Amino acid sequence: MALLDFQTSLAQLVRVSDGGDPSKGVSLTPGERRYLSDLAGNPAFCFTVKVQRSWCAGRAGKAAYLTLSILTSEQRDLLLEHWVGSGGGTHSFVGAESEAFLQFIARRLPDPSHELTICRMELAALRSSEGSLIFQRPPLSRIDRADCLLRRGRNAGVVHFYAEPERVLNALLKREPCPAISSDVTTLIFGPGLDRLYTRASWSEMALYDRLQSSVSAAELVAEGFTRETIARLVEGGVLEYAE
Amino acid sequence: MSGSGAKFKAAIPQLGIGLPYFASLPAELYQCGAIDFVEITPEIMCRQRPAGDAIELEVVPQQMVRARSTCAGLPVVVHGVELSIGSAHGWNGAYLKMLDTFQEMWPFVWHSEHLGFQTFRDSDGRTQESGVPLPLPPTSEAADLVARRSATILERYGVPFLLENPAYYLPDPPSDPEIGDDIGLMRTILKRSGSMQLLDLHNVYCNAVNHHFDPFAAVDRMPLDAVAEIHIAGGSWDGGFWMDAHDGRVPEPVWELLEYTLPRCPSVGGIVFEMLEDHVPRLGADGIRQELTRARNVWMNRGQGDGYGATRLPDFTRTVSACL
Repeated sequence: MALLDFQTSLAQLVRVSDGGDPSKGVSLTPGERRYLSDLAGNPAFCFTVKVQRSWCAGRAGKAAYLTLSILTSEQRDLLLEHWVGSGGGTHSFVGAESEAFLQFIARRLPDPSHELTICRMELAALRSSEGSLIFQRPPLSRIDRADCLLRRGRNAGVVHFYAEPERVLNALLKREPCPAISSDVTTLIFGPGLDRLYTRASWSEMALYDRLQSSVSAAELVAEGFTRETIARLVEGGVLEYAE
Repeated sequence: MSGSGAKFKAAIPQLGIGLPYFASLPAELYQCGAIDFVEITPEIMCRQRPAGDAIELEVVPQQMVRARSTCAGLPVVVHGVELSIGSAHGWNGAYLKMLDTFQEMWPFVWHSEHLGFQTFRDSDGRTQESGVPLPLPPTSEAADLVARRSATILERYGVPFLLENPAYYLPDPPSDPEIGDDIGLMRTILKRSGSMQLLDLHNVYCNAVNHHFDPFAAVDRMPLDAVAEIHIAGGSWDGGFWMDAHDGRVPEPVWELLEYTLPRCPSVGGIVFEMLEDHVPRLGADGIRQELTRARNVWMNRGQGDGYGATRLPDFTRTVSACL
């Protein structure tokens, strides 16, 4: 198992050079152990780490482009440094990297804030966009069946804007200051089958989405006052889906 | 296994000059006669999809359709980056499953991968990505592992399989005396598996500059009869190291290496000018065309009897036809 242990030690050393001993608990020959310990401070090793960090930051930067654009350069650099320094940025596929990095960023932004809104929007757009590649419009007749169970769509999401969305997005595009946080909230709803992947949510759509924190039968929703038309619109857009 | 090697060496068609496929490049570049084949990294047309506890790679049909339309019937070769053929904990099975589907949809003339590893098992037993490809130590264990896997790939796809010599900045890792160094590692793997080499001359140059050796002497030690494809690329200085950045034109010393090496590779089927997609706008279509033209001149003048001409065309046509 020498190769396995050597690779684990070397890769961990390159990926997270935090001063810890990567060869702890693994079986290495004295020569391998000496090689790894001699790497610390070696210019070629430092350059390898620099290349690794640069590749990872490049991947992460592409994966959260919109969100990073709304942040100050100091915030951006700090987030990238923390993410890459903790082993992030290594996913080869942008979807997986986006999902992980945007969630990492979201945990570090104030709530509410326009920055967090953009972060959640980028995540929702990513999920609905990826979902749209395999989305097939479901038959709506199923809603009328007694055993029809509904849940939130796997690739759907809602995003709250604390100012008019156009104003926030325009500020982002023109790199101008964002409007002040308002108590007047606008909600966009994302789904893989929606035109442009999102729509401004009506009060009833929002209430229906909120209601479906777990699966509920269509009959029960209708009995609670949700119209079949609203249900059908959200099912058709992939915002809701059949649970079984 | 060496028998199958002989079989695949005979099947390397003389394709000529190739270019990687990028959706962002103008389609005319692939269709104007400047290239003879396209090198495709299938992962760029894929997305990941969870499948239980595992991850599957799925070819996105729209991207495949667009690529096929751009490549307009040119022969294709596959140049993968996600297999991690040298990872001791296991290779990327999802990549191979995806490649099975890819081959059914779009047959390729040959298939190549990088000799190295980029996934590893962490101390909790989880598979992690290193974020950058890392070189293998020149040991018998590494040679056996990659030779075994290469032979499996040869059987699985029925087309030649090539391993690319990597660029590396790390000092030479501990080695077994019977293997020696990275060239010995490549030679041993090719001999044991029947696979061939994708000789990246920019990587050779990069390593020569950074590790202070003579690249021509290194080429002389390589198994040149097993070289099926050659890569050329550009790089740049960064922090005192010559970086394999694929960010520009091919440096003069790499052209000189190409002129020296090409006539010494009797089985070579093509030269590919590599670049990273991010740097395409800076190079521009005209810049890329100029590099391709220069590569073609070297290809055409690579030696009596080995030229891109009538004597080789029947072989090429037969092999490519069999793939399509």
